[in-house]
Amino acid sequence: MLSPYTVLDLTDDRGELAAMILGDLGADVIKVEPPQGSTSRRMAPFLPHGPELERSLHYFAFNRNKRGITLDLSGDAGRRALLRLTERSDFVIESARPREMSGLGLGFEGLRRANSRIVYVAITPFGQDGPYADLASSDLTVAAMAGPMSVQGDPGRAPVRVSAPQVWLHAGAEAAVGALTAHARMLCTGEAQFVDVSAQTVMVWTTLNAAAAYAIQGHDFNRSGPFSQTRGVTLQIVYDCADGYVTFMPDAKTLETVVRWCVEDGLAPESWLEDEDWMSYTLNHLHGKPVTHPLEEVMVPINRYVLTRTKNQLLEMAISEGISIAPVYTVEELTRFRQLEERGYWLTAPLPGERQVQAPGLFARMSETPMQVRCWPPRLGEHNADVLGGMLGYSPAEIEAACGRAGEASNGRGG
Amino acid sequence: MAAADSLPSAGLPFDGLKVVDFSWVVVGPSIAKHFADHGATAVRVETPAPMDTLRVAMPFKDGAPGPNRSHFFGEFNTSKYGVTLDLKTQAGVDVAHRLLAWADVFIEAFTPGTVDRLGIGYEKARSLNPSIIMVSTCLMGQTGPLAGLGGFGYHAASMAGFYEVTGWRDLPPDGPWLAYTDTIAPHFLSAAVMAALDHRRRTGQGQRIDASQLEIALHFLSPQTLDSRVNGRTVTRDGNRSPTAAPQGAYPCLGDDRWCCIAVENDDQWQGLRQAMDDPAWARNERFLTTEGRLSHHDEIDRNLSLWTSDKDERQVMELLQAKRVPAGVVQRSSDLLRDPQLAHRGFFRNLEHTEIGSVPYSGPQYRIQGYDSGPRFAAPAMGQHNEYVLKELLGMSDDEIADAVVGGALG
Repeated sequence: MLSPYTVLDLTDDRGELAAMILGDLGADVIKVEPPQGSTSRRMAPFLPHGPELERSLHYFAFNRNKRGITLDLSGDAGRRALLRLTERSDFVIESARPREMSGLGLGFEGLRRANSRIVYVAITPFGQDGPYADLASSDLTVAAMAGPMSVQGDPGRAPVRVSAPQVWLHAGAEAAVGALTAHARMLCTGEAQFVDVSAQTVMVWTTLNAAAAYAIQGHDFNRSGPFSQTRGVTLQIVYDCADGYVTFMPDAKTLETVVRWCVEDGLAPESWLEDEDWMSYTLNHLHGKPVTHPLEEVMVPINRYVLTRTKNQLLEMAISEGISIAPVYTVEELTRFRQLEERGYWLTAPLPGERQVQAPGLFARMSETPMQVRCWPPRLGEHNADVLGGMLGYSPAEIEAACGRAGEASNGRGG
Repeated sequence: MAAADSLPSAGLPFDGLKVVDFSWVVVGPSIAKHFADHGATAVRVETPAPMDTLRVAMPFKDGAPGPNRSHFFGEFNTSKYGVTLDLKTQAGVDVAHRLLAWADVFIEAFTPGTVDRLGIGYEKARSLNPSIIMVSTCLMGQTGPLAGLGGFGYHAASMAGFYEVTGWRDLPPDGPWLAYTDTIAPHFLSAAVMAALDHRRRTGQGQRIDASQLEIALHFLSPQTLDSRVNGRTVTRDGNRSPTAAPQGAYPCLGDDRWCCIAVENDDQWQGLRQAMDDPAWARNERFLTTEGRLSHHDEIDRNLSLWTSDKDERQVMELLQAKRVPAGVVQRSSDLLRDPQLAHRGFFRNLEHTEIGSVPYSGPQYRIQGYDSGPRFAAPAMGQHNEYVLKELLGMSDDEIADAVVGGALG
């Protein structure tokens, strides 16, 4: 779909998903790394063996459908090569600190002189300018500043983030949206575009209904652990089952069905079937209408019932009843989940060192222009000759001058 | 009409694009909102029963429930026109067909198979509109043994592994806030629809997009999944700790439930933290000089660090640490976000006038494009607010045709 377009991906671990999404959608992506490699090459988890900069599974996860080159942007030759590549590209995506690229002459103003129709996307923690633009940050601190932590976790303990880092993935994925939106605008105006992605504002949207809640209802939402408080009544979401946990909302048809199961197993009296209109039981709480059995009483047999069944038993029962009960799966259990297998989701990917792994697959099925993985993540500088020789006609000496020596040089991300 | 516009669509990148949104809850409406906020003419189709779950979900204006008072619905349906249709009536289906013939993009989030039963499936849509782009989003995808599993984003978040990794090791999973996977899928699908539109612009070809919210969300645990397959490690919830850096956590500050997060990611930042605290005796412990040492004495560091933070205002802790370039950020709630100086600088929250709840703040765009102001352009529709506008102005139905549709029960 995006096959006419070329993307220069200058991001490090704080944005690599952006260009991968565009690559999955068909764009020709050239990943540009400093000679010492992207920061993501040094991020856990790692393969047990292999060359130091080719072992990161974090890097492997977010760099497919990209060719890879190194450019030493601290030198004139590297900077010139980037400008030459910009002339032949449609998108540039970077995740440097504010003003860092313009300090090299490679910011938006510099690149638009090379290409008057370029779409330039910059991913930063808080945006290009403003009082927080230069704050030191991490996944945890951006999640804190954006709001989701205030509503996550047990009320008796500290707020929590999702334990696996999420911030740069949200920011990267939304940067792909910003890139294509700006591209649509470029098609209208004919002018180069600058997209300023703030990870903080991206993460504010992960709070769903909580962001402006104070101005609407006069109070903030609070952490409620494994309970939901959006229906005006506190509803249990997470349940202990025989082999772990499941989630469901005790509401409408799901509640009606689970109460029936309790009666069938003798955990609740037969009269319960007639005592309540279970379909509207939780809504009655919202509207302040009376109920026969208080919620706490109802939850006792339900929790006892769920303890007697496994997560997959409950899932199968839910499907046959047309209700919603979901297992709390671990990543390991997901590798065996038959829905994903039967949809052919996992893709066999070659890891460095002749190994293979089943990797997460394509993110959607397109009927006329199927996405595909055309290449797996590049080794450091793998396509230096291919890109600089092939696209720009560079000689081997010019390539070496522009690319630097892989594994060397020093300009990592400071502060 | 379009009198509600606070920002005209002219000059926005999707001006002229037509989107019909038959979906509900968060994922589908987010995609339609994306195009609508950036200039598209988007029609949100609803049925009065069952009502969109978001219309009965908090927060309600002034705490009073009502179908037009939910700001959860409001946030995800800005810049759209609202029409009610009863798809159980032939008259309702007839109007739906007019919408499919009108639209460039058709979004739906029913349980797989439902659109065909309702008479608005892809084949029907394509017969009315050969180059239509149809997005079907649901938990498990359109095919496979579990395609029929309905549910919300917290079900998908639970199955996609996010509950397992959110909370504390010694407690059942807390899970991320509400429907977490609903916050992931829209990024990918908005991008996919824009790519499909660009393809259509160049080739005239439309298509159908089958999206599983589970399959999309797994990319956000991709390194952990690969680690499981390659190294046999299964990630679980661990509060705010990191397997590779310490100390890291939310530390208690002065006041009721106030916290500052601190993340020391390397040895230099540890030195910065020591300086910010005036290097107390406990912090001079040589075992804390390396990441490995700090990881293995995390509890001890946390106890001391918590004592240092707990008699300080959370902003003071953040400023002391930021002065030494240590990542630190306060845990902000809605009431903090609404006065956050950085969000204010970006003009993030903006007030829009809603027919029933008046002028209230709405969350703004996740990115800014230099030189133009995207939406949200106007507030979400009240139930059925634009029935007449949609039928008459957008679909060009005559007064007689509209009268027949109403008599036939089309609008519910």
